[in-house]
Amino acid sequence: MTLRRTLTIAALLTPGLGLILVMVGSVFYIAVAQSFGYYNLSGESAFSLDHWRDVLGSKQFGRSLGYSAYIAIISALGSIAIAYPLAIWMRKPFRGSLVVGSLLKAPLFVPGLVAAFLFLNVIAYHGVLNQFLIWTGLTDAPIRFQNDRNGFGVIFLQLWKNMPLALLLLTGAVQGISDEVVDAARDLGAGPLARFRKVIAPLTVQAMQAALIIIFIGAAGDFAFQVTAGPTNVQSMAQYMVFLKTSFGRWNQAAVVGVSLMGLALVGALGLAGLARLTLRGLKW
Amino acid sequence: MVSLSDTAPVAPRRPRRPAFRRFTISNMLIAILLLVCVIWLVVPFGMAVLWSLLDPSVRWEYPDVLPPALSFARWIEVWNTTSLPMALRNSYILAPTVAVTTLILASPTAYAFARHDFPGKGAAQVLTLLPLVIPGFVLAIFFSALIFSLGIYSRFLSILLAHSVLFLPYAIRLMTVAFSNVRLDLVDAARDLGASPWARFRVAYWPALAPGILASLIIVFIQSIEEFAVAFVVGAPNFTTIPSILYSYLGYNFVRPNAAVVSLVLVIPNVLLMLGLERLLKSANPAQTGVKG
Amino acid sequence: MLRKLLVAATAIGLASGVQAQDQNDLLSKSWDDIVAQAKDEGSVNWFVWYFQPRYRELAEAFTAEYGIEVMIPEGTHEGNIDKVLAETGRERGDVDLLAMGADRIELFKQENLVGPLNDVLPNAGTMTTEVGGFDGQGYGWAYWGNQTGIAYDPEAIDEADLPQSVEDFAAYWETNPGRFGFNYENGGSGPSFFTHVARNLTDADFTSGEVTEEKMDALQPAWDFFLDHTDGYVITASNTDSLIRLSNREFALVPAWEDHLFKLQGEKEVSDRIKFYIPEFGMTGGGNINVIPANAPHPAAALVFLNWVSSPETQTRFNEVFGAAPMNSAADDSHALIPNDMRARAVSSPANPFNTELRQAFIEHVALER
Repeated sequence: MTLRRTLTIAALLTPGLGLILVMVGSVFYIAVAQSFGYYNLSGESAFSLDHWRDVLGSKQFGRSLGYSAYIAIISALGSIAIAYPLAIWMRKPFRGSLVVGSLLKAPLFVPGLVAAFLFLNVIAYHGVLNQFLIWTGLTDAPIRFQNDRNGFGVIFLQLWKNMPLALLLLTGAVQGISDEVVDAARDLGAGPLARFRKVIAPLTVQAMQAALIIIFIGAAGDFAFQVTAGPTNVQSMAQYMVFLKTSFGRWNQAAVVGVSLMGLALVGALGLAGLARLTLRGLKW
Repeated sequence: MVSLSDTAPVAPRRPRRPAFRRFTISNMLIAILLLVCVIWLVVPFGMAVLWSLLDPSVRWEYPDVLPPALSFARWIEVWNTTSLPMALRNSYILAPTVAVTTLILASPTAYAFARHDFPGKGAAQVLTLLPLVIPGFVLAIFFSALIFSLGIYSRFLSILLAHSVLFLPYAIRLMTVAFSNVRLDLVDAARDLGASPWARFRVAYWPALAPGILASLIIVFIQSIEEFAVAFVVGAPNFTTIPSILYSYLGYNFVRPNAAVVSLVLVIPNVLLMLGLERLLKSANPAQTGVKG
Repeated sequence: MLRKLLVAATAIGLASGVQAQDQNDLLSKSWDDIVAQAKDEGSVNWFVWYFQPRYRELAEAFTAEYGIEVMIPEGTHEGNIDKVLAETGRERGDVDLLAMGADRIELFKQENLVGPLNDVLPNAGTMTTEVGGFDGQGYGWAYWGNQTGIAYDPEAIDEADLPQSVEDFAAYWETNPGRFGFNYENGGSGPSFFTHVARNLTDADFTSGEVTEEKMDALQPAWDFFLDHTDGYVITASNTDSLIRLSNREFALVPAWEDHLFKLQGEKEVSDRIKFYIPEFGMTGGGNINVIPANAPHPAAALVFLNWVSSPETQTRFNEVFGAAPMNSAADDSHALIPNDMRARAVSSPANPFNTELRQAFIEHVALER
């Protein structure tokens, strides 16, 4: 690489990546240092591996990690699965498609906590859903949907909030595919599924990966949905972290959970994105 | 598209059939969509509207399916007793500024990721995700402390800087996708035809970039307008943003009708804004051109 | 810019010693001088996370007396605390007075707060620095008393049938499964309930904060008790969640904070029919405290306000307006939601670190096992 090229790339990276590294690098360092005993805001600071040992050794930690990974994977894949057909349907503008698109994306603008409280209203013990079910005779007594054990409530909320995000990214990508390409595939006798696998998916894989990464990281770090609608026999990583900090003032242990959450978010998001590409490659040829 | 040779000899009405079938499928799709819309949008937003209109003199709870009395009293109360007007102004100045700033800061990095190959690119792309994965309390306390220690006098500029850095990953990621969708053959063709740089941009770059710009503006805007922790720690008590009021009503001061008012105040202008932005970017897009094949 | 940033980055989280000197100067002054300085400062802000509109009205009396403006911003409990922590390294912060639950005192180092104030505040003699098992050590001073107990729906359970002992609760759960809900996080009402169930069922010493393996093992009967009755009760998401679901007739009984119930009833979020009692086996009383950050921009005014808000007159007023238990022994407490003889059932929560370990143990042994 020539010096000139190196300088060009460095100059291009400075305002984006450079700013991130300078501003967030030190904060990242603090998070890691805190997990090893430093920056204890309410007690003595000294190097120690005890916090890692204590947290990793607790049953709660394993449960939290597994649960957050589960929620994040389902949310990311689910959002994509719902958004793709919609994006393809809206590839060609039709009368009202702009309005339909905007309406579908409206949940993006509802803050998470508000979404959770609206959702709770609907699924409450005597909420609309239960009253409807009793009215139709499907059930005799109200069903307790709130804080269900499988985290379906949280997943529903994640999909509600994140599907529009996936839709936003995929619509842009799908609309970018030229008609000639799709028509050519159709003329070659490719059915809708084959057209999706061989034409649309490969051409939109980058947008899909971006959506997977953003949704996975967001869902893995979820706090608001989990504390209102999540199962009460397990904590999400973010919830566990806040819990250690606010209820117990255990800054260093909270940092251990935080650093583990960072690991989960990065590894999971990139893993999912990589998997998407590999799967497509396998499908394509 | 049905070719003539198919239709001419035996079945003169055949060409209409695919159109007819498409018509029913699209009807069905619309019916399904309406149903989904009811569950997806009408129920939650309807609930929000009803809650916001609940008269303060009554309570809405089981067995009432609908609120017993409606009025605008909650809207008036929230407007008059909180700093909502000021918070609205602050948030709606801050969020668009953050969105545009972030887009500008992100574009060069995104361009480098999409158009250049260099050693360590993969690692660099992972590093750009850092702000998204930093734990919440570390951000609220230590990132804010960092912002404080820069000694920026203006709270607006402090939050602007903080939000721009925090939401850069979204813009970088989305603009990288957009830049890599630019068709180089079009750029070359335009250059060969002697097009001016502006014309080249319009024809070759803009169609691929527009969706990415739209997406990153919208996403960063939403993130900024919803962000509570850093905006509160840095801004309070003088620079109040909307989430401060919202989170107060959904926490210890749990008041559902007031929270509904605040969230509707947020959602309605945002959806209109998105509609406008989308229309704007569409109209500036003369031709739908393809992605590099 | 870059250099400044690097310096800033390495300095984060390190408390600066700059304020210590100013602070000592201030605390060594006479009260009259402090009041004079407070008037010069002219204003004070109080970061409190609830009842802000009501407090703004009540603080007008303070402004009338001292001519000092009081500003009470919007915010949340955690947000306010995070703000003060984030500002630790600043020479001059934004916060004069921080209100918080007494248990949160453990999040702060004393060197970052103004105090001890025992010899400074004229009202210190009748004020309290120890509340709900947490010791403010002269840095944190109570201004708000609250009590955990059981909120109940009189249309679902008669007053005479209210469970009073741990055995009564077990019997109630047997006959009315799923009609009792409590939280183990996002608020202290549920933890107060299971803590005192554990105190009644085990031999562990709840009066000392000491933690030993034998002591934690001795809690096993309490965990078995909860695990044997998993169908009897429901785990809720928070204090608020418990009360809302009680009001919506999903539950008949839930643990709650007295003042929180009062507050939600005032907002019409919870029905007025809901009543409150403290069971005979006893539940925790607690309180909220004020602290002054060492880098408060108006330290003298903060001291004067702190003294005023916990004064007999203001505490009597809080009792009249909110039904809060006064945190000044010279105040009148005749306006509480519950009769005073019932208040005698209040028990303090176990001291730390045992209290913390107990809550952790409940999660490990009960919440995760359900």
